[in-house]
Order: sequence, then structure tokens, then C-alpha cells
Amino acid sequence: MTACARCETALEAGDLRCAICALPVPAAARASVAAPRAQVLRCGDCGAAIGFSAEAQAPRCGFCGHAMAIEQPSDPLEVAQWRLPFTVDRATAEARARSWLAGRGWWAPRTLAREAVLEALTPLAWAAWRVNAVALVAWAADSDAGAERSAWAPHAGRVELAFRDIVVPASRGLSARECRRLTPHYALASAVAIDDAAVDATPDAAPDAAPDAAIESFDVQRSAARHHAQRAIEAAARVLVQPHIPGRRYRNVRVACRIERQTTARVALPAWILAYRYRGAAYRAIIHGQRPDLVIGRPPLDRGKLAWLVAIAVLAALAAVAAIALRSR
Amino acid sequence: MPATFACGHCGASLGFAGVRTATCPYCASPNFVERPASAQPPHPAFVIAFAGGAARARAQLAAWLGGRSWFADARLAHARVEDLRGVYVPAYLYSAVADTEYTAAIGEHYTATETRETRDARGELRRETRQVTRTEYRALAGRHVGYVTDVLVSASQGLAAAELRALEPYELGQLRRYAPALVTGWIAEEFSRDAEACRQASRDAALDDIGLALRKFLPGDSHSDLAWRTTVRWESLDPILVPVWVLALRYRRDRPALRVVINGQTGAIAGRVPLTGWKVALAIGGLALVVAAIVALVVRGGAPG
Repeated sequence: MTACARCETALEAGDLRCAICALPVPAAARASVAAPRAQVLRCGDCGAAIGFSAEAQAPRCGFCGHAMAIEQPSDPLEVAQWRLPFTVDRATAEARARSWLAGRGWWAPRTLAREAVLEALTPLAWAAWRVNAVALVAWAADSDAGAERSAWAPHAGRVELAFRDIVVPASRGLSARECRRLTPHYALASAVAIDDAAVDATPDAAPDAAPDAAIESFDVQRSAARHHAQRAIEAAARVLVQPHIPGRRYRNVRVACRIERQTTARVALPAWILAYRYRGAAYRAIIHGQRPDLVIGRPPLDRGKLAWLVAIAVLAALAAVAAIALRSR
Repeated sequence: MPATFACGHCGASLGFAGVRTATCPYCASPNFVERPASAQPPHPAFVIAFAGGAARARAQLAAWLGGRSWFADARLAHARVEDLRGVYVPAYLYSAVADTEYTAAIGEHYTATETRETRDARGELRRETRQVTRTEYRALAGRHVGYVTDVLVSASQGLAAAELRALEPYELGQLRRYAPALVTGWIAEEFSRDAEACRQASRDAALDDIGLALRKFLPGDSHSDLAWRTTVRWESLDPILVPVWVLALRYRRDRPALRVVINGQTGAIAGRVPLTGWKVALAIGGLALVVAAIVALVVRGGAPG
């Protein structure tokens, strides 16, 4: 694997530009130095001179319609290289789903656990990038250190930070909120290479509780991944610079990062997707594939209780208004 | 072999492969002369291919014309499209490492209690206190670091930098390494602006971007006296061809044709639509009448009766 000459970020096969600093990757050295001044493309079928067709995205013959295959833009859809094994098996996930439905608290309908119909419990290895990088981070913030008349004083500084194992969701199936809650609880060290028998056969590789799980394809192209990773690194930097800000309280923390030596691995992270039905409506919940105690989902609301609460709030507001009106008289 | 033409009117220099034309696709000037190819034109490194053909460009144009405001000349809807041409426009793609040192006065709000003395209706002195928000300015010097990427600057004589900017953004994820097969059969303009001038224009555009980023970067409730000095290094400037549909719209016999440019990849359209004078005058007159009526009502209502 080669690295970008400007920022030392790892380049992948087919990259035309560096994903971080956009430095073009030099074309592979060509065999013939003396390129012809002009080149006439001829149709492979009928021999007529042909032109590039915007519809076919390839040179196409105007006479016989034959299209020539050419190199496509190097912005491929990605596939996962690593996967984290499921440590929660189906039986555990199902038991956990039932106990979760039963313990949904006062807001959920009392009959939820009894009437909910579990329709499917599917193991899914969802797509994410695992990013490592170092970055020079320039920061600016307000803090209470050195404050005079105002409670805040501006400060600025620079610090070099290392980012390890930043997980950037690439899933279309799970929402951003669901991914955010799932990611901190994965044991990233347990990752095994996909389609790599040598790694799978190592004795310390954890056994997979759901080896048949569907692996989500990366629905985001490589060029779009750059923006996701950059935003994730900036979000992490906003937290990591806080110990470097003088004072005890701060606000308006701003960061500018010059990322270097970024490496990105595509990983598939385990989760059980629970689809259930309650009184005709479909709901879903996610059970963490390595931590059965973590279940994410919005259960149905008990509308009767909600209506009562709204009625009480309206009455209380009316009573308050009446009390104020009476006092002012 | 592609023939090279130079427009005597706007200076565009174009290479045609398999196409002969009597007029310049940019300015429709017939003053178009064949000339020998320039000695060492830069070789494009990348190309963004046209997505969709002339029929799609016409459909986008029709939608654009249909969506113009009420003030636009009504004859535009029936305008005749002249010389719709797909041109690969030369440009440079610039990126660099940018280090910026800045100084600014950062405004931090604070609340102060203000006391003032007034006399009431009976002439007695009364003391009023109220809370006011004031701003304290503190000097801040710091640095901003990052990369400047995806700055695209026109290297064409026929398509000005501002016109290309109006067509941006191009989806650079669809960038391809240049191959003659990608532009064959299309008009490709030669790189007719000096690379050094384009580098300077790119730098200026990059500095503008950094200025915008800095304004968002500064802490505090407000700021003033922002000054910055940026050092760029590790610059890269790569020749690229971008797809543009250029066309002339003939909507009135007594007016020159309206030039419209369309992004050949995304379909974004840029062009200045001529407005109808009497419609604008009518709208201004109507607005003035409404304002006058409101003022009259207020004045009459406020007058002692």
C-alpha cells in the first residue's frame, strides 16, 4: 500500500486523489513516452470512427450502436474487509428482546409484552469505517480563565493529537442515532479478516454466534467517505482538545484539523435487528451483537395515558392563568 | 487529426475532433479561423465526462425557462435554441496545505446594571435601574490549519471564471483520469489561460475560502478587526476538462441572443434572464401605492380628531 506524498494518508487501489488532502495520485508510468499526437477511435464492430456518448458513458458508434468498454470512474462502492464476531447468539437475543418489551416502563402500553408479535430477528453486520489518524489541531474557545468584566475570555492554541479507532458509521439501514449508541460498545480488537482463512483459523479468534449474518454493503462511495471521516475526526477533536483549554469552564470550542497519516479499514459490526408488530403497526429495535444488555428502540406510546397527561397539563395551565387573573384583581 | 480553431472575437481556442464549425460555440461569432496547434498545450490530467446527452440538456433548459419568475420576458418561454454545443472546458484543480495566522478583537457580552435619573409627570426625581448587555473586546492571536481542496478555476478564454463558478459544484467523485476516448467526438477547448495566472486565481479563491472559515472559527459573541496571513505550501495545480453545454437563446429579433451555460454533469444552469421593464415598473408602482396607503392611514388615525 502506498501513501500520499503530502499527508502520508494510505492510498487505496484506484484512488485518483488522496481522500484527505486531495493531492492527485500520479498515473502509473506509461510504457511508451512518445504518445501519438492524435488518435482515431474505431468501432470494434463496423470500423467507423466513433465518439464518446454521454448517455452510454462510453465511446459509442453512431452507425451500429456498439459501445466500447472503458475505464469507469474510480469511485467504487466498498465492501467490508473486517468483521467483528457476534457474541450474542439467537436464543440470547430473543430472550433479551422479550425482557426488553416487558420492561418498557410507564409510558409503554401495559399489554405490550403480551400482545407484541415478534416477526423477525435478523443478524446484521452493519457497515462502518474504522479510522486511525494523527492531526495538528488548531483550536479556539472562550473560557473563564483570564475573564475580566465578561465571564468569558477568548483563548487559542495548537496541539498534535492522535486518533485511534474512530468508528464512522456507513450504514444506510441503521439511523445515525442508533449507530451512535451502538458504536462505543464494540470490542474492536476482536475483528477478524473476511475471507481470510488464515486469520479465521487462528486459535484465539472468538467463535461467531451468527456466522450466517448478512453483511451490509457500503452504500456510500469512497469519495463521500472522506467527508464522513473528517467530520467524525473533528467531533472527536472538539472533545480531545478540552484538557488543553485553560480554565474550568469553556464554550464555543472550535477546531481546525490538518489530518495526516490516516488509515481507514472497512468493518462490519454485529447487531440483531428485531422487527415486531403491536396492534397492526410495525416497530423495530436493535440488540447489540456483543452486549445483550444494550437494546435500542422506540416502543409504542400508551395513547390513553398521553391524552390524560395533556388534559391535566391544560387544566393546570388554565388554573394558573385563572389564579393570576384573580390575584391581579 | 483534430483541427485547432481560434475565435477572433472572444479568443477561445478549440480543438475539434471530427466536427467542423463555422461559429464559435461560446460567443456565436463567425470570426473563427483555423490555426496550427499551440506548441505545448498542457495535457489534461483528469476529465469529468458529460452525463446525459443534448436531449437531457434541452429538457433541463425547458424546465429552467418554465420556472422563471413573472418578471422575466414572457417571450423566453418560446425562445429558439441556437447552437447547443457540448464543450469540454479547460480548468485547473487546485489544492494546497494552508497555515494561517490571525489576529482579531473578540467581543464577549456581559450584563451591566445601568442607573439613570428621570423626572416623572409631577416633576419629582426618580431613579431607574435596568440591565443592559455590553460587549468587552479582547485581543486574540491564533492559528488555523488545514487543506484547501477542490478549488476549480477556469483556464478558458470563452468561459469566464465567474461563469464556471456559477455552474459549480461538479461532483469530483466522478473524476476520471484523462483518456482521449472520453472526449472523442466533442469539442474540447485548449488550455488558453496561463497556468501561472490560474495558480494565482486559485490562491485568491482559496484565501477567500479561508476568510469565510475563519469567521466561523473565531470564538466569542462577535468579532472585529480580523486580519490574517496565510502561507500556502505543497500546492498542486492539475489540468482538468469539465463538461459544459453552451447555447444561445434567440427570444426577440431586436435583441442579441441570450447566452446560457449548463453544467454538463449535474444540469445546473447559469444565465442572466432579461426582465420585462413594464412588469417591474408595475410592481414597484403597486408597492409604492400600498406603502402610501398605509402611511396615509397611520397619519389620519394618529391625528387628533
